[in-house]
Order: sequence, then C-alpha cells, then structure tokens
Amino acid sequence: MALKKEIYKELEDILGEEYICNDPAIMPSYHGTELGAVVLPENTAQVQAILKTCNRYGVKFSAVATGWTGSFDKDIIYIDMRRMNRIIEINEKNMYAVVEPYVITAELQAECFKKGLHFNVKGAGSNCSAMLRGHGHLDQSTGGDDRNHLAIEWVTPEGEIIRSGALGSTDEWFCGDGPGPSIRSILTSAVPPGVTPGVFTKAAIKLYHWPGPPAYDIQGLSPKYTLPEMPKNMMARYYSFPSVEKMWNAEIKLGENEICMELMGFNVSMVAANITTCNEDDERVFKQLDAEKKGPGFFVIIAGNSDADFAFKKKALEQIVKESDGESMKSLEDPETEGILIAQCTRISASIRETFRAGGAFSSIPIMGQRDLTIKWAIGAGEAKLPLIKAGHIVDDGGAFFGWGVEQGHVGKTEIFCKFDPANEKAAAAVDKWSKEQGRRAFDENYFALMMGEVSDDIKANMSHYDKWWIALTRAFDPNDIAPQGGPLV
Amino acid sequence: MGLEQYQGDVNMCCRCSACKFIPLQQVKSYDYSYVCPSIAKYQFHSYSGGGRADIIADGLKNGFKYTDRFLDIVYNCQLCGACGVSCNYAMDMELQEPINELRLKCVSEGKTNEELEKVISHLKKNQSMVPVKGKRGDWAKGLNLKNAFKDNVDVLFHVGCLSSYDKDMQSIAKAAAKILKKAKINFGIAGDNETCCGGRAYQMGYEQDFLRQAKKNMSMIKKAGIKTVVTACADGYHAFKVLYEKYGIRGDIEVMHITEYISMLINEGKLKPKKNIDMVVTYHDPCRLGRLGEPWIHYEGKKIPGDRFVFDPPKEYRRGTKGVYEPPRDILKNLPGIKFNEMERIKEYAWCCGAGGGVIDSNPDFAQWTATERIFEATASGAEAIVTACPWCVKTLSDAMEESGCALKVYDIVELVAESL
Repeated sequence: MALKKEIYKELEDILGEEYICNDPAIMPSYHGTELGAVVLPENTAQVQAILKTCNRYGVKFSAVATGWTGSFDKDIIYIDMRRMNRIIEINEKNMYAVVEPYVITAELQAECFKKGLHFNVKGAGSNCSAMLRGHGHLDQSTGGDDRNHLAIEWVTPEGEIIRSGALGSTDEWFCGDGPGPSIRSILTSAVPPGVTPGVFTKAAIKLYHWPGPPAYDIQGLSPKYTLPEMPKNMMARYYSFPSVEKMWNAEIKLGENEICMELMGFNVSMVAANITTCNEDDERVFKQLDAEKKGPGFFVIIAGNSDADFAFKKKALEQIVKESDGESMKSLEDPETEGILIAQCTRISASIRETFRAGGAFSSIPIMGQRDLTIKWAIGAGEAKLPLIKAGHIVDDGGAFFGWGVEQGHVGKTEIFCKFDPANEKAAAAVDKWSKEQGRRAFDENYFALMMGEVSDDIKANMSHYDKWWIALTRAFDPNDIAPQGGPLV
Repeated sequence: MGLEQYQGDVNMCCRCSACKFIPLQQVKSYDYSYVCPSIAKYQFHSYSGGGRADIIADGLKNGFKYTDRFLDIVYNCQLCGACGVSCNYAMDMELQEPINELRLKCVSEGKTNEELEKVISHLKKNQSMVPVKGKRGDWAKGLNLKNAFKDNVDVLFHVGCLSSYDKDMQSIAKAAAKILKKAKINFGIAGDNETCCGGRAYQMGYEQDFLRQAKKNMSMIKKAGIKTVVTACADGYHAFKVLYEKYGIRGDIEVMHITEYISMLINEGKLKPKKNIDMVVTYHDPCRLGRLGEPWIHYEGKKIPGDRFVFDPPKEYRRGTKGVYEPPRDILKNLPGIKFNEMERIKEYAWCCGAGGGVIDSNPDFAQWTATERIFEATASGAEAIVTACPWCVKTLSDAMEESGCALKVYDIVELVAESL
C-alpha cells in the first residue's frame, strides 16, 4: 500500500521536497524494500515532526544511520540519518565527544587523534556510526557497550525529546546517569534499528587518552598501505599458545596487570584477511599462518605513555606470555606487517576484509559473558563448523572463533562466524542450521541464552519472561505501535 | 561486454558505505572524509557507489524501471572512479565498471539526458565536444609546428577539443608545444585534421559515438606510422590509453600524458627548468590521469564454484594503484621556487573536479558545487594556486573560483613548466 498523498505532503512540508522520496528507483538501494518513503531529516526538530506525523497517521517508521545491514517492513517511513552528520563538540577537558548519528567512526577518530584522544571503536569498523553501541578491538582498555555512552538526546516514538543524564538538567553531556534522569535500561541502543524505540539524535561518547601519533603517516597506494615507521612506544604482536587454557590464562594476567591497549582475540584467519589485499592472497596467507601457529592465540597492541612505561609493558607482556608457553608469530613481526596491523587495528579500517570480502556474507554469533565459559561453548561451535568447511559451504578458517576480555577483566566478548556465498542456497541453509543449533546448544548446556533472532518460549520462560516486560515498557513509549520491534536486551 | 557480466560483482555489495568515503585508513579529518561527490550532494544512498550497485543488481534480476529519478541517479555521477577505489581497498569486486555500463545501457535504450544529447549531436556534426569557433588548428598559428600526418615525426601531440577551441584553454596547448620544442622533440600536431578522441562521449554513455571517433583517430595514426601519442588532456589520455585498449583498437602505440613525458625529459636532462616561480601550490589529480588512468586489464575467466568470490585464472582488479601520480609531483618538485603542499585527498582517493561523466554539461551546478569543495580543500592546504594536468579540470575549477569566494589561481602544469624554461 503506497503512502497516502496527504502524509507524503505533510512530510514534504517538514523536510522540503529535496529530502523525501518514494520513487521505486531508489528502493533497491534501501535494502530492496518497498518503503512508504525515505526521508532525510537535517535536525532533531525535523525528526520530532516526522515522528509526530507518523503517530498522527499510524504509519510505522524506522531510523537508520549508515545502514550496513537490516531488514525492514514494507510501506514504513525510512528515516535515513545521513544529513545528521555533525560533530557537535569534542570536549577535551571532560573527555567526551558529542556526535550525530551519521558521523562515522573514521571521522571522529581522526579529529580525536589530533587532540591526543580516542574512543571505543566497534568491531563493525570505522565505516559505521561513531554512535554505534557494541564491542570492538579496544574493549580491553576502553570498556565496551553502554560504558561509553554518556548523555543522549532521544526522540521517543511519540515525538517527545528526552535528554538523559546530565543533559536533562544542564547543558552538559558528561554523564549518562545524572544529575538528570538516568534511563540507561531503556536506552539500550544508540543506533537504530536497535532495540530502543524512537530515534537517537545525538549522543555523547566517552573519550580516552591516545598515546599514539596525531595521524598515521600512511604510505603507498590503496589497497597496499604501509606505515614505514613504527609509532613511538607502540608494538603489535600475535601470540599463539599450546592450548586454549594457556591462552586464557595469559589473557587474564594481561588484563589484571593492565598491560594492553588492545587485546583482540583474532584468529589467524582474521589476521590473514587484515594483511592481505585480495582473496587469493588471503587464502594463501591463512594457510601459512595456520601452519605457523602453535595453537589458539590473540593479537595485542601495547602503547606506552613514556619510554619507561613502554619498556615496562613490553617486559611484562613477554613475561606473561612466556609463563603461558606462548610464542610470538615471527612472520607477523615483520615491520611492514606490524605497522599496518597497528594502523588498521586501532582505526578498525579493515573489518570488511575480515567479514564480507571472501564470499559476500557472513553469519555471526556474538556473546558477552564470562570468557572462560563462552570460550568453552565457542570451541564446540568451531568444531561444528568443520563439516561445513569440508563440504565447501563456508570459508576455511580452521573452525576458529575469537574474542577478548572487556575492561581488562574476566567478562568479555566471544564471537564466531561463518563466511559464505549468500547466492549458494545450500551454504546459506547450512549456516542457518549451524547458527540455530549452536544457539540452542548454548542454552541446553547452560552456557548462556542467545537473544538474537527468534527466541524460543522455553528460553523466555527461563529468563523471567523478559519479553513481556520489554514489550510493556516499549508500548508505554509507543502507544500507537509505530516504532520498529527490536529484540529486547536483558 | 555488457552489464550482465557484472552481476556477480554487484551482488557482492554489502552496503558497508566505504564507497562514500576515502579509504578509511586515509581519513585524516571530518572535513575531507568524503570521496563521492554524488552522495555528498544528493544524500540518498542510491547516489553512492553501493546504492548504484544495488540498483543494478535489482535491475538485472527484475528489469530496469527508467523513472525520472532513476535517470537523475544515472546522470548525476562524474564516473570518477573514486567509489571503486574505496570499495576495492577491502572488497574484491568490480564497482566502477558496472556503473559505466549502466550509463551505456541507458543511452543504448534511448534513456538519454537532453543536455548530453545536444553535446553528442554537436560532436557528430563538428567532431568536437565543445563549441567550434574557427578551425581546430588555429591555436597553433605562428608556432611553426610540424604536421604529424604529413611530416615525419616521432610523436603526435594530440591536443584535444577544449585546448584547441576554447580561447581560455589554448594557453595549455601552446605551453605544451613550447616545452616539446624546447626539448627538441621531433613532434607534430594534426592541426585542422585532429578529431575528438571520443573519451567524453564514452563517459556520457555514447559508446557508438566514442567508437566512431576512436576508429577515426587510430586509422589516421596508423596510416601516418606514428608510434607515440602524447596528450595534455587527462580525458584524452584515458581514451587513448585505457578505452582504446579496452575496445582492442589501440594497437601497439605508446600513449603518454604530457606530465609523464616532461618528467622523463627532466630526468634525462633534456629539459632544465631555470626560472624561479615563487609560489605555494597544491596539485589536483585529474581522475582520468590518476586512478582511472591505470592501464586496462583484459580478463577472461570464470568464478570458481564454492565459498569464495574468486576466479580462474585469478582476477586482477584495477584498484587505482597504477595511475599517473608521481610524474606531475616530480615536475613540481623540479620547478625552482615552487613550494608544494599536498591536499588531504590525493592520488587514488582525490576528490573529482566535477567535470566528468558529462556532468559539466548535464548539471553545471553540480559540477560547480563539486569544484567548490575542491577549492576549499586547496585553500586549506595553504596553497596560492591549484595546479592540475587537464584542461577540463582547469576550466571547472576556474569557473567555480568566483562562486567559491576564494582567490586561488588555477594553472595547468604545462603553463608553469613553460614559464620556468
């Protein structure tokens, strides 16, 4: 059902004719969905007016930032946040940045580096919104998830503007929990389509000290960039260990001693993807690294604030790794490789190589939890990938998983994915089956409850029927049921 | 040939938006992070490289729906290739080529742009992409240059339409001729017999008109036994070097841009710039000399069935790596008194001047907007002048200068070289 003319006209009056479109020509580029219209608001007032219009007519909407992934219902109003792309403030004194949804991470990071600051970049990559909530390579030293969101400006589905935390009672963004209203439990996502109904129009992001250079002196031409000189007091290494237990032991000790700026549990398949510039090289280098590795491993970057600090961290790192019988992979100590790994893994500029380059799609199961427990689950999930690899359905990564401790702690992120060709129906079906089985196994074997996709009734029952609470909560903000339904977070 | 061959490539688009920005590792600031003028100006995702890939993928599957908006998307693109470079930093897939092919398909099916139709109609009648005033060879009157098709010469200097006919751009042709004479090169021009290279017709989507021009040129060149063609126009360079090769009509002639040729002459000691030019300059990489100037790679193979998007034999992508980037920079560094500052977006991820893809004709406002963005970037570099290596870039940047409120001078690099000799 096409959008009624009167609704289109009302939205056009809000936005200007240039910034609303329902021509079928654009729909393939909007997730192949026959949307009611795509709108491009410029500011919070326009977002508010759009939502009020949607309420008045009972039209569903969905707001999207960079829009890497997502699926959407027909006939909705798709709010493309592209024009809301301003860095509002980088507050050096209080160490936060305020951004709109379409500021990408690469942009904010470039500006922060100049001021000796950085922030938690999500694993999805620097092509994604800087507002994105989640986890990334720097979790070890910056924390992850909602730790890094301070005050947020939120337009509720009814069009009310709510300013959380300090912003609710002052003009300051320094805190998400007060002295104004803390609604952290509701503001579970800062980039729609997430789980919170409504639209996030601005968010403050916590900043951290950046010990690296104001900009990397990248040389060469795409896709082969190099960093000819190692930044002062920075080092990258990949360590492999004889067993998962030993790897985990080293990870914990490094965390407890706060040694690493980045501890990213890359598997060697991900390393190979990062340092190669095409699929053929990726496959070759993976085989080479797979043969070289001692066992499971992780990638670290250490960064010293002084020569002495760096020397201490390096010594402690090497000692801890040695105590766990770990070894640095020599081929990755090559200065050219080390340099580009430092640049890419602090800027997170090659996630696309790790995920989509090989086959065009990937399916992932990401979990937050006690690392030793989730690792045990991931070992089984990795073994379950092997038949798919053997059948040629998914890319050979040796059945690997990856992960890291968050905030130098025992709790962390563990993730496993399958890379495949989505046009291969057998592969897609096999991956879907694997994903469902491993999610189910996680619950049946008491590892964790997977909240992605369709969640079964017995899981909901075991989780205090969280879904009913969440739906009741969102309905209070969305009485006309026009906001997208996301999966609730517990 | 044809759009269908790229179905697998466009299906690979993962909508990551990398195509909108310079390669992510190169983002140095908020101000100059974008690389695609079309998405930066028109905002809807459909105007990005990825959006176009999605549209092509859908069209190949379900048929193309040529609405006004569809054609607006197709023609408001400089086909500058920047999206492809940024995509190919991470992905193995063709992006620029299917976008080119969509333009060709539209024209072949009669879905044309009114303004571009006028330009092509003029080309058919006058063998020129620009208005014709006088004769094509008038710019060379009094210079005593050889006729490449009558005299025995080593090098044909192909001037191009804009430098031949536009009074404001003829200084580029004259400067290039002066340099070649100074270096005692046995070169000639085609004068009144020169004809359009066809490159811009190709950009506009007019494949047959391009081919007609290309064949005319190659017929004359072969007949005259010319082995080397030098051009001072990036579009001309791209046509002779890349497009003629793509269509299998280049033969074995050597094609050089004047910056490659001058750089070679300086290195061989045949040219010695002496006169001091006290100026801070920056350099604008023309798209069709830089990333799109990369040689054409003929490829025939097929996808290997299985989990990866790989081919047998392995496919080499044109990622912008082998464009002409260093020769103009080497020249500038050899000009006494010149202080050279780089802009943020350079070489394979340079921002387009706005003229490409026929946009200067079909949507001059968009061309000017694009050029103005570049002028602001050049100003931020601390330069007093933008130097480039293509008359179309010189024209577009010069035309936009007043509107930008900036007061930078715009030079073609040959003008500075000629001045310094």
